[in-house]
Amino acid sequence: MATGQASTKPPDANEYGGDEISALVLDPGYSTTRAGFAGEDVPKAIVPSFHGLIPSESTPKHAKQLFGDNSINIPLPRISISNVMSKEGTVEDWDTAANLWEYAITSRLTNTKPTPLASNGLNDPNEDITMEGVEEQEKPLGENPLLMTETGWNAGKDREKGIEIAMENWGCPAFWLARNGVLAAFASGKPTALVVDLGASTIAITPVHDGLILKKAVTRSPLAGNFVSNQLRLLFASSQPPIPITPHYLVASKTAVDAGTPAQATYRTFAPGTEPHPSFRQFQEERVLTEFKESVVNVWTGPGRLGGHSQQGGTNIDVAKQHPGKPFEMPDGWNQMFPALDRYRAIEGIFDHKMALSDASNPPPSPGQTITALISSSLSQVDIDLRPHLLGNIVITGASSWFAGFTDRLQQELQAAYPGVRVRMVASGQMVERKFGSWIGGSILASLGTFHQLWISKKEYEEHGSGIVEKRCK
Amino acid sequence: MPPFKDEHVLIIAPGSQTTLAQLGLPESFTPARLRVPTRMFPAEKKGEWEATRIRERKVTRTSSKTEAHGHADGDVTMGEANGPLDDQGMAEDQEDDVRVEEDPTSEEGAVYPLRDGKIVEWSCFFALLTHIYNTMGPPFHTPILVISQPAWTAQDHESLTQFIFEMFKTPAFCLMDSALAVCYAYATPTATVVDVGHGKCDVTAVNEFLVCDLGRGSALPGCGGEAMTQRLHDLLGGKGFTSEVCEQLKKSPICEILPPGMQMPAETEVNAHISNPAAAASTGASGSGPGQRGSIASQGGAPRGPGINTEVGDADEDREFKEGEDDEGVLDVAAIVASGKTGEFLVKKEREKAAKAAAKKDAADAAAVAKERSLPNSKRMKATFHYHERRPLEELNMNGKRAMDGENGQDGGEPKRQKTPEPVVDSGIQATENATATRREERKEERRRNREGTAFIRKSADVGLERFQAASGGILDQIADAIHRCVLSYPDISKRSDLWDSLIILGNGSKVKGFKEALVGTLNSRYLTSSSSATIFTSELPSNFTTPVATGANTPQPQHHPPTHHGPGVNPLLLAATTASNPNLAPPGQSQQQLHQQLQLQQYHQQQMQQSHQHSSHAQTPTSIKLLKMPDYFPEWKDVGMEEAGFLGAQVAAKVVFVVDQGISKGFMSRTEYNELGPQGIHETCL
Repeated sequence: MATGQASTKPPDANEYGGDEISALVLDPGYSTTRAGFAGEDVPKAIVPSFHGLIPSESTPKHAKQLFGDNSINIPLPRISISNVMSKEGTVEDWDTAANLWEYAITSRLTNTKPTPLASNGLNDPNEDITMEGVEEQEKPLGENPLLMTETGWNAGKDREKGIEIAMENWGCPAFWLARNGVLAAFASGKPTALVVDLGASTIAITPVHDGLILKKAVTRSPLAGNFVSNQLRLLFASSQPPIPITPHYLVASKTAVDAGTPAQATYRTFAPGTEPHPSFRQFQEERVLTEFKESVVNVWTGPGRLGGHSQQGGTNIDVAKQHPGKPFEMPDGWNQMFPALDRYRAIEGIFDHKMALSDASNPPPSPGQTITALISSSLSQVDIDLRPHLLGNIVITGASSWFAGFTDRLQQELQAAYPGVRVRMVASGQMVERKFGSWIGGSILASLGTFHQLWISKKEYEEHGSGIVEKRCK
Repeated sequence: MPPFKDEHVLIIAPGSQTTLAQLGLPESFTPARLRVPTRMFPAEKKGEWEATRIRERKVTRTSSKTEAHGHADGDVTMGEANGPLDDQGMAEDQEDDVRVEEDPTSEEGAVYPLRDGKIVEWSCFFALLTHIYNTMGPPFHTPILVISQPAWTAQDHESLTQFIFEMFKTPAFCLMDSALAVCYAYATPTATVVDVGHGKCDVTAVNEFLVCDLGRGSALPGCGGEAMTQRLHDLLGGKGFTSEVCEQLKKSPICEILPPGMQMPAETEVNAHISNPAAAASTGASGSGPGQRGSIASQGGAPRGPGINTEVGDADEDREFKEGEDDEGVLDVAAIVASGKTGEFLVKKEREKAAKAAAKKDAADAAAVAKERSLPNSKRMKATFHYHERRPLEELNMNGKRAMDGENGQDGGEPKRQKTPEPVVDSGIQATENATATRREERKEERRRNREGTAFIRKSADVGLERFQAASGGILDQIADAIHRCVLSYPDISKRSDLWDSLIILGNGSKVKGFKEALVGTLNSRYLTSSSSATIFTSELPSNFTTPVATGANTPQPQHHPPTHHGPGVNPLLLAATTASNPNLAPPGQSQQQLHQQLQLQQYHQQQMQQSHQHSSHAQTPTSIKLLKMPDYFPEWKDVGMEEAGFLGAQVAAKVVFVVDQGISKGFMSRTEYNELGPQGIHETCL
């Protein structure tokens, strides 16, 4: 136990079993931010990375921030929803992100003990004042080392910003920044692996060798969960007649109608000036689409691609038309049997750019953005001796990989692309493990006894400044 | 370590309003023996707390108390007055001119350490635990089980563990999640628990006795009973109803929440009458703002038309009520009291009412009234409820002797007056029957003394349709949305329909008449997937649909990797519970239930096996929403209701964890473990 322990309470091996279980692991993603104590198997705090904003009447610039599932799903007057993360999966709005993370940590993990009763909650109207108060009285994470995750392409300033928040705002005694791809490999028990991470905003391919990221070979594209959602929107819009997506909050009650007939629901109306912002609707529609993706969308599992030809000679599309459809009911009661072709079509674009639906605002993906192309281009940049090893250890993670049939299809695609190599997938059968793969890896890493010497301590940070992250966390 | 005994187990279940506690497990599990309001009063020294309010009082008899409220939990607090903490207060009594005395009925200056489930004032919370511990006086070898609120953070758990072990030197401590406790009470491994409390509501999905943190709606703010009181106050405040009266109205049987789609009686007429803009806005106007439910009609209720209660006679009756000077519906209590003529007014009112009754010449009118009275509450335009108001005695004295007489004549010395309308406390009284006779004697004395200072006035008031609108502030929508979110975030998609089918709504906030039905109704009307789409035999089948082909081309193909593991294993405590040959746990009929549970477990494993192969076969949920049947083998709970089932579950759990299992399954943290692991060890053992 070296420098990392300088300012923490040294864990007495006899007393505490040698595990630093009070270390925190923070894993921000585009859809949700996960936080929890190292050593646990699931993150305790899972909050959406989205936050609500309510513009104040008097000072338009000062908006009230709302965090957490409980508050951002209520159609409050003029509420708008934004995300602290960029579409790239990196942090965009650092100030809000710091607040959001602090909310995640203090609401479920630690607490805001020294704050006065009234201001114990970040949803207070004068929230900025509260935050400052907290910092003055006691840093919220004064006792907990923090392990934060980042994407494989996170660089420069953004990396330093992380340690600054942890050290300056939260007073963490120690910090570490880890690549989420590496952590997902750890979660699957693989020191060497090709991590395929399907998130909400990006697919990321991260080759990991002996626990180290091969940064040059990291590839990514935006054809992930949100891409499928947009495919669905296009699909709904292009169907005859167009299928409207009415989110739950707009429906007061619905009546059962026959499939395909217009909905007969009573809708909620909002007084002029109090309507939620369109972004709120967008966010709520996403909830409906998530349900749709879970219960209807299916990956075409071959043989061949959906746009290809079957062995019998016909096209696979014809084969797909023979497959059973699946019913889905919208929040307003509108329902229909979705034919199998639509079910396959919505996600086929991830594998086959030619099958993707597109319009003016959703440009068609380029051939290099499909998952197979990403894996190929990633592999082409690693040492040729390593490639078979990576193909034999493909770790599938990320919630969007939960599409039915996804693993099978990827297996087929890769086996076809690399016929001579044994392609093996490692995909957990537990949704929780897929969803929180990188967090779980972080939890494992931070609770290892041998990890203690890696922490960047507060003292080191004060000595070297935030640039130390670049030197230490490779 | 010697085995723990039933009679030594101490259970504490803190809530934002009331904390339940009990020492010892009875033969058949009963509602909590001790109910204390979750509050303490600051003592003279900062950071120290007293269970009852201590205040200074001049020895001269003339001065008296000035608190105008807070009788609600009087009885219980008085029972507490004998606690050891109060001794020094009594001793000081004699010393000075300024006497220090307890005011057991006052809640002035009280600090509630739990707010919306969160612990906001630690020293006060610890003082409360100490107070409960001392009141119970448990023997040395007492294991403690505390029910934890979902809003408590991991660090809160640690602090609490440290306190319990170091303060009480307990040999064993178990921290149990409140939602899980409910599942123990209902003997169900899977449930969606909706716990409606005072200031908040918790929505939790539990599967296989494991609480799911993902998507859990913990401590939804503004979704508890308090919000309903506030809503009533918003509606009725203009008519002189104080929030305390609204609280009593909420608890009275005439306050009812109508299921969605059910029309309020004669709504249209009332709209024309109501002058209160708040009420008008909430009954009809569709633009009444967000967060507010639209009117029943705008939610798809039947179109307004002449119904049973829209007859002309009724409307006339109503108009007469409204216009008459003795309109009880708009009884402005505050104004009357402030005018200092309470007694006179009441007497006058009685007389006028009698006169009016006699003067009712119109037989048709009378018949209409009779008819209206015989209707169920939900069909009536108005209803009367009785409430109690605590007024300082000297105020009444000032009103003149007659007022005093009137008051005393009306309800002097009636024990009924002391009985508070709060059902919560009713059972508290019942529970404290076990107290010793001497204690009761002292309490009587206390009560008598107390009565010298204040009086409870029994009043009645008519309330119009506002009484159906306690939940019109959007509570039901918010809770329903949270339930929907919670179930749909449950990771194991195949379990979601089970979660929809095992809904448990409890908590004292859900006691309001009709609340549960209305919530289930809201869920049904908003989220239920209609069978027309769920079945594949719809008439609108796409033409290209065929039955599965024999080649198996469209059957889901198994994945190539073996399932890594079968998820969470069977809770060892469940096994202990189901195999324990305990008469309490295995009443007649239980054996079948055991069998059923085992079957369910088997099915569960089969599903798990299949799930990793074909998780594509999930349909949309919910196709049905059902409330879980309350267990019927605890007769004591039948009458009280299952609102506090968590405490029943705590007893079941305590029995299993401490007595049956004796720590084999690591259900609790022992003192040795605490010494080894420190407070952080609680995360490995807490349920």
